[in-house]
Amino acid sequence: MTTEEDLVKIKRRVELTINGRKVEIDIEPRMTLAEFLREELELTGTKVGCNRAECGACTVLLNGNPVYSCTVLAVDAAGKEVLTIEGLADEGKLHPLQEAFVEHDALQCGYCTPGMILSVKALLDRNSRPTEDEVRKAIEGNLCRCGSYPNIIEATIAASEKPAQKERVK
Amino acid sequence: MAEGKLLVMGKVPPSLDREFTVVGKPLNRRDGVEKVTGRAKYSGDIKLPNMLYGKILRCPYPRARIVKIDTSKAEALPGVKAIVTKENTKGWRTKWYLIPQIAFPECITYEGQEVAAVAAEDISIARRAVDLIDVEYEILTPMLDAEETLKSPPPPCVADEEYPGRDIYDRKEFVIERGDVNKGFEEADVIIEDTYTTQAQYHGMIQTRVCVADWDGQHLTVWDSTQGVWNSKRVLADSLGLDRENVRVIVKYLGGGFGSKASSQRISFYAAKLSMVTGRPVKMERTKAEDFVNHPHRPHCKMYLKMGAKKDGTLTAIYQRAIVNVGVAAGMANYYPRQIIWHTSNLYKCPNAYLEQIGVFTNLQIIGPQRGPYNMTAIFALESHIDRLAQELGIDPLEFRFNNYATYGYDNHEVSGGQFKPLSITGDQEKKVPYSSKRLEECMNLVAQGIGWNRRKSSQNDTQRRLKRGIGMATFVVGQGVGLPPYTAEADVVIKHDGTISLFIGVVDIGAGQLTIFPMIAAEELGVLADDITVMGGDTKDTRYGPSCHASRATPEMGPAVLQAAAEARQELFAIAAPMLQVKPEELQSKYGEIYVKSDPSKSISFKTVCRKIHPDRPIRGSGSRAPTPTDYPRFATFGAQAVEVEVDVETGAVNIVRVAASQDYGKAINPKLCISQIYGGIEFGVGYALSEEGIFDPKTGKMLNSNYHQYRMPTSLDMPHIDPFIVEDEDPYFAYSAKGGGECSNAPTPAAIRNAIFNAAGIWLNDLPMTPDKIINAIREKEKR
Repeated sequence: MTTEEDLVKIKRRVELTINGRKVEIDIEPRMTLAEFLREELELTGTKVGCNRAECGACTVLLNGNPVYSCTVLAVDAAGKEVLTIEGLADEGKLHPLQEAFVEHDALQCGYCTPGMILSVKALLDRNSRPTEDEVRKAIEGNLCRCGSYPNIIEATIAASEKPAQKERVK
Repeated sequence: MAEGKLLVMGKVPPSLDREFTVVGKPLNRRDGVEKVTGRAKYSGDIKLPNMLYGKILRCPYPRARIVKIDTSKAEALPGVKAIVTKENTKGWRTKWYLIPQIAFPECITYEGQEVAAVAAEDISIARRAVDLIDVEYEILTPMLDAEETLKSPPPPCVADEEYPGRDIYDRKEFVIERGDVNKGFEEADVIIEDTYTTQAQYHGMIQTRVCVADWDGQHLTVWDSTQGVWNSKRVLADSLGLDRENVRVIVKYLGGGFGSKASSQRISFYAAKLSMVTGRPVKMERTKAEDFVNHPHRPHCKMYLKMGAKKDGTLTAIYQRAIVNVGVAAGMANYYPRQIIWHTSNLYKCPNAYLEQIGVFTNLQIIGPQRGPYNMTAIFALESHIDRLAQELGIDPLEFRFNNYATYGYDNHEVSGGQFKPLSITGDQEKKVPYSSKRLEECMNLVAQGIGWNRRKSSQNDTQRRLKRGIGMATFVVGQGVGLPPYTAEADVVIKHDGTISLFIGVVDIGAGQLTIFPMIAAEELGVLADDITVMGGDTKDTRYGPSCHASRATPEMGPAVLQAAAEARQELFAIAAPMLQVKPEELQSKYGEIYVKSDPSKSISFKTVCRKIHPDRPIRGSGSRAPTPTDYPRFATFGAQAVEVEVDVETGAVNIVRVAASQDYGKAINPKLCISQIYGGIEFGVGYALSEEGIFDPKTGKMLNSNYHQYRMPTSLDMPHIDPFIVEDEDPYFAYSAKGGGECSNAPTPAAIRNAIFNAAGIWLNDLPMTPDKIINAIREKEKR
C-alpha cells in the first residue's frame, strides 16, 4: 500500500509546454497544475482563490481550453500546451485583451483578472465576435467579487472588434 | 469653493482658482498593467528563503471548553518546527481591533477559534501536524438565536475575563428619540407595522487571507493582506509586545477586502508568533472554508418597524426596534450599536421618532464590518416600509419620498473619550443640523428618468402573464468616514532636484483605485500630469499614518492631507520660480507641468527647470495632515438612489433583474471611471444580498453548512444586471476638491429597490432576505389564497 509519505518521495518526470517554452521537470504526482506553476516555476500570475474549482481565479488554458488549474494534476498536463497570464503579452507588448481590460477598467482588486482574461481569450479564440450573452456565459465560472462584470463584458466586446484580434490570437 | 473649510491641520491652502486639468478625468488605474499581466505581487505570492509554512488548528464547535491538548504526536513529525497552544503561550493576548483577547483561550466562543498553530517545513507537513494534535473538548450548547438568547442568562463560560465588549454592548438598548412618538401615531391617518429580517452575508473576496511574517531578531516585517497597513502595524506590535517602530507592514496588492481585512488579520498574529519562535519567515494562508467560518460577517438582524402618516403622505411617527445577532463581535469595535437606527433617523423628515437597537452576543461566528456594516440592512427595512406606506396611502413612492425629504440631518453626534457609551439620546430634527452637501433630490430624479419611472404601473393588473415586470426604487444616506483623533491621515509630497515628484501615503489600494486618485489630487494641486507623480503606498516604511481603507474613509480623510501636502510643496516651488519670472510667488499659477504668471500666461517656465534650483541634498517636502472630523456641525454623508426593473417568473419564483439605474452623490468624482466601477461593485453585493447570499447554520450545532462558493451563492456574470450609472457632483468645501468617499454606498439601496420592484411586478411584499424562489412562490400562493 502506498502511504502519503511514499507519495512525497515519488517524483515523475513530465514534459510540457508552458507559454511556448518546453519545460522538463521532476514533480510530485499529487501536485496540482496551479501549485506547479506557482511553486515550481514561480509563475505567480496564476492565482488560487478557493482551491476547489469554484471561483475560477486559477484558470489557465490547456491546449487552448480554459481549465481550473487547482483541480488539474500537473502530471495530467504532460505533453500539453499551457498558457498562463504571463504568456499573453508578446515581448512586453500587451495583448489587445489586456489593453482592453485596462482601458475599460475591467478589474478592481485584480485577483480574478488573470483567470478572467484567459477565459475570455478562450472564448475569442473560438468565436471572434461574441455577443454579450456569449461573453456572460464564457465567464460564468469566473467569480469577480468586485463586481467588474459590466466592464469585463465591455472590454471583451471592444477587444473582439479590433481587427488585429484574429492575427494575434495564438 | 468656499475658502478655509478644508479639513486639514494648520493652514488651509488657497483654492485652486483655475479649471481642473487632472481631477475629473477618467484615467486608467495605475496598477492596471501589473494586474492584467500577472506581475502584481499579492502577499501570497511572496516567497522568502528558508520560509516555513504555518497552519492553525481551529475548534470545530461554536461553544466548547478545552479539557486537554496533546501535541506530542505532532511534535514528533519530521519537519515540524514549532507548535504554539495555550499551554506554552500563557498570558498572550492578541489585540485585534485594539481589543485584548486571549490568543488561545480555554473557552471557545465561536466556530473556528484558534486552538493551536503549527510551523513546518512545508504545508503538507503543517496540515498533517494539525491533524495529529489531540484535543479533548467539553462541548457546550451554543447560543445561536438572538431573541432566544435574550431570554436566557448571560453565559458563564467566555473566552476571556476581558471578553470584548460584552459589558458595554451585550443586551443593551441604544435609543434615538425625538418628539413624542405616541402623539405622532395619534396624529396619523394610516399606521403600518412590519418585521424585516436580514441574513449573514460574507465578503467572499477571492483572495483568501494570507500573510508572510519575518522576524529578524529585532524587526518584524509582515506581508499582510489587510486594508490598512498602519492599523495592522499597531495591532501587530501591541499583540506581540514589540515597539511599533520595529514593525513594518506591506500590502502592495490586495485581492479584495470589503471590510473583512479592515484590521490586521488574525492569522498574522500567529504567523508572527511562529516566526519569532523559530527565527524563520512563516507563511500562513487560510483555506476558503476557513475564510467563511472564522470571519467577521455582516450580522443577522431582525427589525420591527411602525410608521404613521397623514393622508397627504406626511410622516408623523417612526418606531423601530432592531435586534442584531452580534455573534462574538470580533471585539466591541465591530458592533456599531446605533448604525441601523441612525439610517432610519436620518433619511426622512419626521418630528417624532423612537428608535432602539439592541445587540445580543451569541456563538454565531464573528461579525464585523462589511461594505457599509448596516447600510443595506437598515435601508432594506426602511425603504421597504416606505413603499408599503406609500402603497397604503395610494401615493406614488417617488412622490412620497419627495414629500418627506429631509433637508437637514439629525444630531446624534456624541463621542466621548473615543468610545461610544450606551445612552439614550434626545434631539430634534428641527435643530436643523446641516449636511456638508446633499444632492439626493437630483439623485432620485436621475434614476427615475433612467429607469423610465413613468412606465411604472401602479399595480400588477396583467394576471395572465407568467413573466411579470415591475419597477421599484430606494434611496440611501450613508455616513462619511471616521476621522476621529488622534489618527486621521498624513501625506507627504517630495520634489527633488532632478524633477521627480513622490507622494507618500500609508494607504492600501484595495482595488477601489486609491493609489490612482491620490496622485491625481497631488498632480492637480501641483499643476503637473498624474503620470509625473510616483506614489509610495501600501507600506508603513517611509509613510506616516494613513487610514485603513474601510468606512468609505480613504478619499474623505486622505484627500485633504494629500491636497495640503501638494499645496505646501507647490508654494515652496513657486518661491523658487518667482524670481526666475521676476514676479511674486502669489502671482504664479501652474498646470500641465508649466509654472506661469496668472496675469500673463505667456510668461512661463517649466516645472523641471525650476526643480533644478532645488538643493540636491534638500528636496522640497510638503506635508499634509487631515484635521479630525468636527464633532458639532455639519454632518458628512453621501446620498444616492437606485431604481430597478425586474421580471418575476410567477411559476418558478425566479427574479431577473432587467436593469438598474444607480445614482450617487460623490461630491466630486476625482476619477469617474473608478467611481462607476464602485457603483457596479456595490450593486453586485446588493444583488447577492437581495436574492441569493446567505450563511446557513445548523440550528442545533451552530456550525456553518455552506462554507464554500458553490453553496454560498454570490452573483456570477449571468446574474449581474445591466446598470446605468449616474454620478452627481456638488460643492463640499470640507473635502479635497469636494470628493467624498463612495465604496460602501452603492449596495445600500439595492435589496430594497429589488424588493419594491418585485411588489410592483407580482403584488407580494417580501420582508425576509434573501428573496429566494421558494419564498417568492410561497408569497404568491398566499396572495392567491386571499
